[in-house]
Amino acid sequence: MLLVAPAVLVFAGLYAWPLLSMLTSSFMEPQAFNFASYKRFLFDSYHLMTLARTLFFGACVTVITLLCGFPLAFLLARLESRWAPILLMITTFPLWVSAIVRSFGWMVLFHRNGLISNSLQSIGLVDEPVQLMYTLTGVIIALAQVLLPLMVLTLYPVIRGIDRDLENAAMNLGATPGLAVWLITLRLARNGIAAGSLLVFAISISAFATPSLVGGARVQLMATAIYEQTLELLDWPFASAISAIVLLIALIVVVLYMRIVQDHEIPVR
Amino acid sequence: MIISLRHPFGLMLTAVCALVFVYLLLPLVVIVVSAFGDTGYLAFPPKGLTFKWYQAALANPRFIDGFLVSVRVGAVVASISVLVGVAAAYAIVRRPFMGSSLLEALFLSPLLLPTLVLAVALSIFFSAHNIASGTNRLILAHIAICIPYVLRVTIPVLRRFDVTLEEAAMNLGASPSATFFFVTLPVIQPGVIAGATLAFIMSFDEIDLAIFLASPRESTLPVTIYSAVQLGFEPSLAAVSAWLILLTVCAMALFQFLIGRRTNS
Repeated sequence: MLLVAPAVLVFAGLYAWPLLSMLTSSFMEPQAFNFASYKRFLFDSYHLMTLARTLFFGACVTVITLLCGFPLAFLLARLESRWAPILLMITTFPLWVSAIVRSFGWMVLFHRNGLISNSLQSIGLVDEPVQLMYTLTGVIIALAQVLLPLMVLTLYPVIRGIDRDLENAAMNLGATPGLAVWLITLRLARNGIAAGSLLVFAISISAFATPSLVGGARVQLMATAIYEQTLELLDWPFASAISAIVLLIALIVVVLYMRIVQDHEIPVR
Repeated sequence: MIISLRHPFGLMLTAVCALVFVYLLLPLVVIVVSAFGDTGYLAFPPKGLTFKWYQAALANPRFIDGFLVSVRVGAVVASISVLVGVAAAYAIVRRPFMGSSLLEALFLSPLLLPTLVLAVALSIFFSAHNIASGTNRLILAHIAICIPYVLRVTIPVLRRFDVTLEEAAMNLGASPSATFFFVTLPVIQPGVIAGATLAFIMSFDEIDLAIFLASPRESTLPVTIYSAVQLGFEPSLAAVSAWLILLTVCAMALFQFLIGRRTNS
């Protein structure tokens, strides 16, 4: 019991207490118990748009990581080559690099005269320089790259756990490989897909560094609004209320995630 | 199913995955390569070839200071997190008590809840109660998020530990603490080192808490880059980021080595 005491102390003092006092303060403005801070958020179309934009943003990031992550996880799980572990390591590598460095890379690519704008112009897809910097599209592309390894890491063990003979059986019965993956693997991996999607969604709606660098002040998301209220406007009760809304959404998503992970014995990321 | 390049499906899948790899690695490649460019501004593809930005980054006091702050914070956070985390993991696995599995779930919960919300809560909390100051605030905050990582690495290692080894030591007359330090610790040591490495890297790279809590006079390297990037793309900024990528390669190699040794033994 004595051994666990320091951890309990840290958890209570640096995690539970600050979070609880933040939640309390969001109900204490101007005084006594009331919902003023929440009303201020929920009855204002500007703030509601920020919330809607954040949820849409999270959904887009999730779809992109899924579309890129599933084929990659499938290839890594089914590849019978000594390259497979190395490819898996390369996939996880970006996860270890600071999000700041990766966002910086995207800023260089998204520049008006950067690689993406120039190549799109030279192959004739667009006539003018493309502006991805300070746009929602740019932030989606950048954050999906940042979170893609998490999706692959969630899907990889799930696909490995699916017996490849099932795919072979479907193919022996005349299915093309694509159809076999569609009918067998995708269906059997659905819990892993759900878990990975919920995980990526929960992280993307509260991600701060990438939206702040790539989106700047022009892309208002919940995370950037929280930053503004806490550090620039010093409106702590309102910042607490916005944080509480993000926390509530993340909590719902994470609880769903944990239930799926535990029910189907999917390795936690 | 076996992926074969001779089959159209395998070929297409490989092509799609090659594109995904380009997407995944492009931002890192851009940083490393463009820092070699011999121009006063950052360009990709780079023009010319020079090492001067890589040298300039190592001589820039702003980056060196940031690096030293990050290393100091990371080292303190990793040491404390390992001490507190391993003790808690040991108690949870070996001396289960009522509610210990609930406690384990609670301890691991910071891994899944938004760091940004914790950053807001802690910055309000520290300011309102005037707790700690300067870099110590950041250290405390990082300890709160790094202990769960240590727990997650060490709990499975402790669960695999063969209890009869401890019983044998005690039967031969070793005290409980001697048993822990001479039997248990050497066996779980790779897991402890892996936990410490993970805690260090998490603290070193962490940005949300660092932005909200770092003292203006002592910012960590990621915060230094974060602030500088918003003002303009200096080539030396790309170079210092490239050094960080290189450092990450080394850290990852070390971590893989430790994990590999753990699973082999």
